[in-house]
Amino acid sequence: MNANRIMDRGWYWVDQQARRSTLALARRLSRRNFLSRLGLLLTGAAALPLLPVARAFAQETSVREVGDPQTCEYWRYCALSGQLCSCCGGTHRTCPPGSEPSPITWVGTCHNPLDNREYLISYNDCCGKAACGRCGCHNTEGDKPVYFNSNSSTVLWCFGVEHTSYHCTVAVVLGESSQ
Amino acid sequence: MRLIIFLASLIFLSGALAQIPAEEISVETMPDHGPNWFIIKSGNGARIFDAETGEMYGTLSLSNRTPAVAPYLPRGEFYAAESYYSRGVHGDRTDIVAVYDYANLSPVAEVEIPNHMARLGVRNHLGLLGNGRHLAVLNMNPGYSVSIVDVIDRLFVYEISTPGCAIILPVAENDFLLVCGDGTLQLIQLDISGFEQNRVRSEVFFSVQDDAVFDRSARTADGWLLITHAGVIFEVSTDDDEINISEGWSIVAEDESGWRPGGFEFLNVHRDSGLLYVAMHEGPVDTHHDPGEEIWVIDLANQRRVHRLELEDPADHVTVTQESAPKLIVGTDSGGTEIYNALTFKHERSIDAPSASMYEDF
Repeated sequence: MNANRIMDRGWYWVDQQARRSTLALARRLSRRNFLSRLGLLLTGAAALPLLPVARAFAQETSVREVGDPQTCEYWRYCALSGQLCSCCGGTHRTCPPGSEPSPITWVGTCHNPLDNREYLISYNDCCGKAACGRCGCHNTEGDKPVYFNSNSSTVLWCFGVEHTSYHCTVAVVLGESSQ
Repeated sequence: MRLIIFLASLIFLSGALAQIPAEEISVETMPDHGPNWFIIKSGNGARIFDAETGEMYGTLSLSNRTPAVAPYLPRGEFYAAESYYSRGVHGDRTDIVAVYDYANLSPVAEVEIPNHMARLGVRNHLGLLGNGRHLAVLNMNPGYSVSIVDVIDRLFVYEISTPGCAIILPVAENDFLLVCGDGTLQLIQLDISGFEQNRVRSEVFFSVQDDAVFDRSARTADGWLLITHAGVIFEVSTDDDEINISEGWSIVAEDESGWRPGGFEFLNVHRDSGLLYVAMHEGPVDTHHDPGEEIWVIDLANQRRVHRLELEDPADHVTVTQESAPKLIVGTDSGGTEIYNALTFKHERSIDAPSASMYEDF
C-alpha cells in the first residue's frame, strides 16, 4: 500500500513538473515560434539523406589542382561521359548560365596525381538547355552497365530538375575516398 | 524590231514546251519487304536500307530521344518510344509510343505513356513481346520501371516497378527478362491484358563489381546471349516460370588475355547457324566501350572461334541479318557503315549513312 502511494506521489511530481515547464515555455514563446523551430528541425532532418548529393555544389574543397579542366584528361574526369561544362560557359564545377544542375548524380573515384590521393567525384549533369556539343569526353574508369545506374556513365542524369534535357556535365569533389 | 524578237521567242518557247509532256511530282510508297534489309537509326530518325544493293528505301522520323525501333511485319507496323518537349529542349514533356505504318513510314497512332522513359540509345530499352501485342518500354526516373503498351488496342496498360533491374529481353509469348544489378535475372510474366501476373528471380550468376554482364545482348534461337566485360558468355532462356542460365564460358583463350568485347551494340547472333559475331579489342579493364579492332565469329554450339575478321576502321556496332545468306553490318568508330558477306567475310560495299547510332535487322 505504501509502495503504491509512493509511486502515485512520484507520478504526480512528474506531472507537476511537466505542467510547470510547459506553462513557463508557453509564457515565453509564441505558438508561431514553436512551429518555426519544429519546421526548421524537420527540414534539417529531411536534408540529411540528400547528402552528399546536396553538398556537391555547396562549397569548393581545398583539393590541390593540376591539369586543364577543358580537356578529357583532367584528373577529375576519370569516369565522366558527356560534354564538359568547362567548354560551354561553365567550369569543371559550375553549370553554364541558365542551366540547372541535377541534384542526382553518378559517382566515380579518381586519382589526383598531385597529392597521390583518391577522391570521390560527383558527376552532375547541367540540364534544361540544348546539348552543348563541345568537348565530348567518354572515360569509363569504374563504369558499370546501365542496370547499375549509380555507377553508369551512360545514363543522362537530368532528374529532379524542372527541364530534363541534357546540356553538359561537371565534376565536383565530394571528399577523399576511403579506398 | 524588239517586239518582233520578243514574239519570235514566245513562239519558239511555246513550241519547245509542247514537244514533251510536263513531269508531275509524286510520292513513293514502300516496296514489298525484301531479304537482308536493315535499319540504321540516327539521332532523329531511322533509315531503311537493303544490304544487298545498298539502296535506301525511306525514313521514319523519330524523336531524338528514342531508344530503338521495334518493327512488326505481320501487321505492317513499327513501334517507337519517343519523348518530346513542347518547346524543343524545355516546356512540357510528353512521352509516347508512336505507331508507324509500313507503306508510308508515317505516324498513324500514338499512345501517351508516363514521362519516365529512359532516353538512352540502348536497343533493349524497348521490346515487343512474343505475342506482338504488348510493347515494353524501360523507364528510369531514376528508379527503374517498365511501361506496358497494348499496340493493337493502342492503349497504355500498366507501369511495372522493377527496382534495380533494366534491359528488356522478351521471352515466350508474353514475358520478359531483366538484368539486375545484384547479379540476377528477373522474369516478369504478364497476363493476357498486359498486367503483371508473376515475377521470378534467378540465382546470382555474375558479379557487377568483378565482371559485369554488358547491358547489350543478342537474341538466340531460344532466348538471349549475355556476355561479360571479360568475355564470358551466358545463354539464358525460360521454361514457363523457370529461368535457365547456362554455365559461363569464355570466348577469350588463356593465351589471348587482354582481348575484350566492347563497343556499343557490338554483338549479334545468326540464329539458324548459331554463329555469334562480336567486336573485340585489346585493352585493360574498363575499356568496355572501346571499339573492336576485330570481329570474332564464334560457333556457339561447339564453343569455338571460327574466324577473326580484322578491321581497318574499328567497330562500334555489329549486326547480322537472319537470312540464309546473311550480311554482316558493321558500324565503324569513324561513322562508316560497312557490309560484309557474313559467311565468307568478303567486304561487299560501304553505305553512306551520316550520324548512324544503332543498327537493327529488319
